[in-house]
Amino acid sequence: MLYVVLFFLAFSLYLYVVLGGADYGAGIVELFSSEENQKITKKTIYRVMGPVWEANHIWVIILIVILWIAFPEYYNIMVISLHIPLTIVLLGVTLRGVAFVFRHYDAVIDKSQKLYDQMFKVSSLITPIFLGIVFGALISGNIKITDDISTLTFYDAFIAPWFNAFSILVGLFFAALCAFLSSVLLIGESESGKENIYIRKSAIAAIVVFVVGFVTLGYGYLIDNVFINGFVSNPFALICVTLSAVLLIPLWKMIRKGNKVWSRSFAGLQVFFILLAALGAHFPDIIITTNGSINLLENSAPESVIKVLGISLIIGGAVILPGLFHLLKSFKMIKILDRDNNPLI
Amino acid sequence: MENLDAARLQMAFTLIFHIVFACIGMVMPFFMVVSHYKWLKTRNQVYLTLTKAWQKGVAIFFVTGAVSGTALSFELGLLWPEFMKHAGPIIGMPFSLEGAAFFVEAIALGFYLYGWNKLPEKFHWVTGIIIGLSGVASGILVVAANGWMNAPTGFDYIDGKFTNIDPVQAMLNPAWFTQALHMTLAAFTATGFAVAGIHAYQVYKKRKIELHTKAFKIALTFAAVAAILQPISGDISAKDIAERQPVKLAAMEAHYHTEKGAPLYVGGIVNEETQEVSYKIALPGMLSFLAFGDFDAEVKGLNDFPEDERPNVPMVHYAFQIMVGIGSLLFLVGILYFVSLKKKKWLNNNKYWLLFVLVAPLGFIALEAGWIVTEVGRQPWIIHKIMRTKDAVTPMPGIVVSFYTYIVVYLTLSVAVTWLMLRQIKVLNHSNH
Repeated sequence: MLYVVLFFLAFSLYLYVVLGGADYGAGIVELFSSEENQKITKKTIYRVMGPVWEANHIWVIILIVILWIAFPEYYNIMVISLHIPLTIVLLGVTLRGVAFVFRHYDAVIDKSQKLYDQMFKVSSLITPIFLGIVFGALISGNIKITDDISTLTFYDAFIAPWFNAFSILVGLFFAALCAFLSSVLLIGESESGKENIYIRKSAIAAIVVFVVGFVTLGYGYLIDNVFINGFVSNPFALICVTLSAVLLIPLWKMIRKGNKVWSRSFAGLQVFFILLAALGAHFPDIIITTNGSINLLENSAPESVIKVLGISLIIGGAVILPGLFHLLKSFKMIKILDRDNNPLI
Repeated sequence: MENLDAARLQMAFTLIFHIVFACIGMVMPFFMVVSHYKWLKTRNQVYLTLTKAWQKGVAIFFVTGAVSGTALSFELGLLWPEFMKHAGPIIGMPFSLEGAAFFVEAIALGFYLYGWNKLPEKFHWVTGIIIGLSGVASGILVVAANGWMNAPTGFDYIDGKFTNIDPVQAMLNPAWFTQALHMTLAAFTATGFAVAGIHAYQVYKKRKIELHTKAFKIALTFAAVAAILQPISGDISAKDIAERQPVKLAAMEAHYHTEKGAPLYVGGIVNEETQEVSYKIALPGMLSFLAFGDFDAEVKGLNDFPEDERPNVPMVHYAFQIMVGIGSLLFLVGILYFVSLKKKKWLNNNKYWLLFVLVAPLGFIALEAGWIVTEVGRQPWIIHKIMRTKDAVTPMPGIVVSFYTYIVVYLTLSVAVTWLMLRQIKVLNHSNH
């Protein structure tokens, strides 16, 4: 049953990275667009994300809940050492969600739209960077484990774990990945004639992902980071990363052909391989601390808890996934084209 | 400010907001589907306009409830890591089911909001029902998790270790039913009176009278039924607390000395030094009767409990008085509403509408007061008789900084949400249906 729980943990993480990531990325794409393109993007985002965006972000709640139920020790370390970046993520999530609602559901369209837009764009960039920083911190080897945290200085206990070049690079990498996913998604959703905007964006984002990824690996290798050393000496991880890079070729071909199903599938697959490499390189040690790694399998909740959680997840999944699939499918077929037809505007 | 106080205040502050958002997000879909049903049945355009106006409210409150809920799911761990480390696995079951219910709600909401003229009419309407039902299910599950903190079951606690965990038994703890019933009725009462009050104000101001009267009736019917049922649920809760958490009951009534045939104090000012309550109305034997169904039963006083196991008595007592006082008032207003359905003349009297404008915020005040009773009344325990709140708080110093940040963010948000709602009403009043 522990593997069922692990599957759902990885599954929620993957879906959050892909769906939530594309959602964050939309704001990043908008941020780095010319004024005219910003308007086009804003409209497209609403059309594409509107019906599904709440669902996109529930994955992170599922993720957190599984962590605290099944891996309480692990969760405990995270919430204590990474209190500050997690709080920033929370504020980002809050402001972003509110800005999204305000700019699309406000009954009156006036100057306040500018404020909502700014809030949306900036929080769309900051939140994924800090999410990436949290993940980077967990594997950076800077988290200190001690029985009495009061013996450490504030800096060592609560700042050093995440405020380091390696974690910040992982944060930037994640934000770039979000922008990339979103650009690929938006190509297929833009009005005809506007595809080129997003084709160009996805090319730029792909380059940024590649460069930041390379710098992160290179920097980690130079500073002798435990995670990266394990990563580069692990054939499984290397194969995954190579596959992810190689997939750029068919992805580019499908974008050129205008095939949205395949171009999205390839982009999703790339993220899958990146995540598989990151999680697989050290499995089952996902947290790497100053005094060694923490084994996920050996630090799980008692068997009775895992059993009930596994069953709940299977039942929940059976209810939710078909509904979610149907939702995504319905609104792909049913185009909501203009503001006039939309009851919410 | 001490770290523990800052953490408790931050938790209280975020919960106070989340409760309002969550209740509205959970109850308003029911108003919306009733109006939607009437539209389908009568094809009266007014109902369609109303349904669409309410669905915007549902969307806005769902999202604000969802983000403040996400914040809370993190805060539980960020502020109370020791609690979550041990309690997380035990009370994980209601939380994971709540996640599922919440997900169903989000999916249904997607269908509902974007399904106008696209989905078959009946199916579209049913997705609205699903929003409401899954919202109530989420609420009940979260309250069940809170119930466990008051009535921890489903584990053995040996030498400071939680063993032999049974998550199902933990979820179905002795407090879950009474708390969930009381809270669900409270959510309908509070939201119903608040929404009805907003529409009553519009009628009072003579704006779109037909639309706002229809809206008022739908919202208030739910509210009045819930308000009339609430005292029964309150009685069940009181008897339950008398059994399980006698010290909380004693604090609610500022009852210091154990006695038989204990009187019920209505109102009054608590003096902790002299252990006296002045300016109260004492109803002889009533506390014994309400707690145990017997006018002569013995009710334990606060002095029977060690000093370091008592909550803040005045705060719990005052909050309890506010809750019960408002509850009784709304019970009467609920009855008055049903009487007014027979007396059509009343509807032409502007004082009738003014009354409902004035009582509009009371439901939420009672609801918050009720949560203060149950949460402050549980102190000093985070898990009743097992773990103290001060042992659960995060070791990270400076929580006061995040507390102030949250205050600024949440206050700004509530101003913004209010402003947004006012704009919705303005547009609604200027629309032509």
